[in-house]
Amino acid sequence: MIEVTGSLKRRLAVWLLSTVTGLGALLMLEAWVSTHRAAERAFDSQLEAAALTIAEAVQWQAGEPLVEVPAAALQILATRHQERVFYAVLDAYGEAVSTNMPFTLQPEWRARVADAPSALTTDFDGTSWRLYGREYDSAGWVSQEPVQVWVGHTRVGRQALGDELFERTLSRFLAMVLLAGILMAMALRVALGPMRRLRRQLRHRNADDMGPLDARVPEEMRELAQTLDHLFARQRHSREALLRFTADASHQLKTPLAGLKSTSELALKSQDPADWQAALLAVHDGADRTSRLASQLLSLARLRHIGEEGKVAPLDIVAVLRESVLDWAGREVARDHDLGLAELPVGPLWVRAEGWAIRELLGNLIDNALRYTKAGSEITLGLCQQRETVSLYVEDDGPGVPFEARERLLQPFERGGRQDTDGSGLGLAIVDSIARRLGGRLSLSERSPHGLIVTLHLPLVDHQCDQNATRLDDPDATREAPP
Amino acid sequence: MIPLRRRFAWMLLLPLCALTISARAQVTPLVVEAALDHDVVAPLLEAFRRAHPEIDLEFHDRSTLTVDALVSEADPAPDVVISSAMPWQMARVNEGYAQRLDSPAARSWPAWAKWRDEVFGFTFEPIVMAYRLDLSKHMMPPQTHADLHTLLTTEQTQLRGKVTTYSPLKSGVGYTLFQQDARYTPRFWDLVAGMGRVNASLEANTRSMLEGLSDGRYWLGYNLLGSYAMVWAQEHPEVIVQVPQDYSLVMMRMAFIHRDAPHPGAAATFVDFLLGREGQRVLAGQTPLFSVRPDVVGPYTAARLRDQVGEQLYPIPLNASLLAFVDPQRRKAFLARWRREFERSRKVSSEP
Amino acid sequence: MRLLVIEDDPLIARSLEHALQPLGNTVDMFCTYAEAQAALAHDRFDLILLDLGLPDGEGLDLLASLRDRGDTTPVLILTARDGVDDRVSGLDLGADDYLAKPFSLAELEARVRALLRRSQQRSDNRLRFSTLSFDPTSGTATLDDTPLALPRRELLLLEGLLLHAGSIAPRETLERRLFGFDDVGSNALEVYVSRLRKRLQNSGLKIRTFRGLGYRLEEDREPGRAEGPEDETA
Repeated sequence: MIEVTGSLKRRLAVWLLSTVTGLGALLMLEAWVSTHRAAERAFDSQLEAAALTIAEAVQWQAGEPLVEVPAAALQILATRHQERVFYAVLDAYGEAVSTNMPFTLQPEWRARVADAPSALTTDFDGTSWRLYGREYDSAGWVSQEPVQVWVGHTRVGRQALGDELFERTLSRFLAMVLLAGILMAMALRVALGPMRRLRRQLRHRNADDMGPLDARVPEEMRELAQTLDHLFARQRHSREALLRFTADASHQLKTPLAGLKSTSELALKSQDPADWQAALLAVHDGADRTSRLASQLLSLARLRHIGEEGKVAPLDIVAVLRESVLDWAGREVARDHDLGLAELPVGPLWVRAEGWAIRELLGNLIDNALRYTKAGSEITLGLCQQRETVSLYVEDDGPGVPFEARERLLQPFERGGRQDTDGSGLGLAIVDSIARRLGGRLSLSERSPHGLIVTLHLPLVDHQCDQNATRLDDPDATREAPP
Repeated sequence: MIPLRRRFAWMLLLPLCALTISARAQVTPLVVEAALDHDVVAPLLEAFRRAHPEIDLEFHDRSTLTVDALVSEADPAPDVVISSAMPWQMARVNEGYAQRLDSPAARSWPAWAKWRDEVFGFTFEPIVMAYRLDLSKHMMPPQTHADLHTLLTTEQTQLRGKVTTYSPLKSGVGYTLFQQDARYTPRFWDLVAGMGRVNASLEANTRSMLEGLSDGRYWLGYNLLGSYAMVWAQEHPEVIVQVPQDYSLVMMRMAFIHRDAPHPGAAATFVDFLLGREGQRVLAGQTPLFSVRPDVVGPYTAARLRDQVGEQLYPIPLNASLLAFVDPQRRKAFLARWRREFERSRKVSSEP
Repeated sequence: MRLLVIEDDPLIARSLEHALQPLGNTVDMFCTYAEAQAALAHDRFDLILLDLGLPDGEGLDLLASLRDRGDTTPVLILTARDGVDDRVSGLDLGADDYLAKPFSLAELEARVRALLRRSQQRSDNRLRFSTLSFDPTSGTATLDDTPLALPRRELLLLEGLLLHAGSIAPRETLERRLFGFDDVGSNALEVYVSRLRKRLQNSGLKIRTFRGLGYRLEEDREPGRAEGPEDETA
């Protein structure tokens, strides 16, 4: 099932966008802080210049500092943003020698400025102000007391400059993001080109074209292309196998049908009831064989093409074996054979398999044994436990199969060179398919003095912790008649 | 005086008009405290009342120092403050007493004539010299500051007591003008010394100087407000107005809306009118205050004045440097030097 | 013995009828779900042969509704589908046996016989097989209506075999029946089986051994023929 989980383009766009947004927000925060700090620095230097200009104008007369505030200093303070300006020249006792506004300068500010020039931001008159203070040692004829020069202005220009710088940074950043986005989109388009070409190629492919792909793909897509190629190859093989199987099957079905047809035709021409009787017997056997063949074909086809059905719960193979053999031994077809069970290992043995698969497998093996051995033959089923595997075997004391024919026996329609029975030659092929499905292995070996042993090796499952696995009912309970 | 009578007529008529025109409209009062002759500015006020009958304009003509005091002391505060004492106006704005005017006219107002979009210089008044017509019989009338200095030196006996100028102590405008003069040239102090030598009379306003000239008490006046002098000269042919040919200061009346204006809307309307085309047109056509706007046509415009006297017009810059003029120490120092220069020469010359 | 056959294929239906009639039974044939449902509502049967793929409904639904009503009539399911799920759900829903098409008539007959026997036991509360009979309430066994005097363990063995009559009685079940959970030797059961065998000699019945599986009580069809499994070799 193909589940569409968003588009690559959108996913990349979302990543890009969230990254840019996240980083951008941080970047912008940093930019805002730094631009405004730069603006503060630029304007603070003007405060310094103004303070210096005023300091230059300080003179001492009769032990008193005297200052004629230079107009230029005020213009420097006002800046081109026409700030409101403040200035104050304080004597050593903090008394204003000259000031233009009733600004209260906190004693701790004055103390700080006495140590080093400093700038500070404060509120006055409902407006935000930037003040700068500096202490100058002035030398006069009478006294050598320091004076503090304080200047200040409103912060409109700083904010305007900061905002302007920030806006410029922001617009540059946005332009960059836009450009990056466009380039990204273009790059994406180019990068996804091979994907598009591959898609087009797949779309225009004929339904029965199972040939390998002919596409140029980048490194990242090599695996995909190779997987596709493998898939096509597997499908090709599976298709070929299916075609071959269908052809074989129809051929196999045709043969008994032809027999039926000719037998019944002959019987119809005859007037002798004995011939009819013989023909009817032959027809009955033929029908029997054909129907058996049909059901085996069906089960083989289903086995070969059934999909995996998720995880299979562990199964006690001892119980299934006992149940199946009990079932078969009670059947009419087994009446003339000695079908039995060898001593089984104690306790459950867990394998990962579906119950029906084991039953089908056992059914085919038992059916085969019954079919290919004479009446009265002994057929024994049993289990051998190894370290990590369990071997399920079916042995008979029939004629056995020559060594060279054994491998072929697993192919469909192979009867081990025997044409004397009414078997279809599909039984072992079905068993083999099931064995593969269960992850097991099938082997054929000789029994001495004569006979055949078919063994299925299945991996054991560690089942100590799996207590709630599907437990088969006690086979005896189902056989128990109601009181 | 005709304007006075007209004024009274208007004062009677106006409330009537306002009542009839906007019978139901709310009449908003508006108080303007101004250092600006009511007679001179009357046409402008009339035009405003015509254009805005819904506003009851109350115009108080006061001295510059009174106006300045009212800014911080009046309760309620005036709506609009107008004064020619530029440094004081500037200081008030710097102290935060003004509020911003945001209107198209304010935005397009020339940058050199406004500060912070809060205070606007809305007139363009040249500072001139004036002399009696018969001065030319005795000597060559001065055309420049240097001419004046020369006359004060060479003709000091004839000119003794006949020269007048502003008192920097009594007049804010006078103080500003002298400060500005001193900024342009150090030789200004020679001129002050010259004034002292001829024992110049120091008046508090231009009107007194003009009256003295017409009376014949004075022959020569220095640093008169051109706006008043030109009107005076039209009615008194014996007075000649001379715009100095080397440089001529230009003074501006500055108007701002008070921060605590009780009627900020009406105040904004009024200042906007002062700056607007209509107000400036009245200024240019019917008052000698000269319009600042270059797009206004009339006999009294800055552009026309430039055409007449050339490029030597130096408007007193409307910027933070004006704040220095009101610095008490600086003012004290300036006035001290002024007095020193003025009196030293006088002593020298008075001592035979 | 009334049998109900629900089968939509006429050919199979006819052969079923022919095959089952000789067993001495009344056979009612229906070929649709609706008819069968109507018949089941009115009559009682001893055995139902049910085809799963009916033209107007699912055979399994019929079975489910039957069991929901509490009807315990034995049901033998016939189907062409040999899918495992069908088998499992059929048995889960309470079918008694299951036969996949194509089947041989011999197989069918054997299964029908077994089910009928069970049905009969249910009706008269006696366990019977051929000439052998056992009354669980009184604990007495008869052979050809002659009482068989048996020791307790042999009686228990006989009962166990009769409970599974026609099919294999698993060895473990029999052992538990005879010895409880006592630990006994592997030959203990065989001892009792051979004793019982001796008593049944020439009765037309025999006990067949299934190696590793258990024992089955069956009719000795060819009394003259000696068969390997009957040899007491186990």
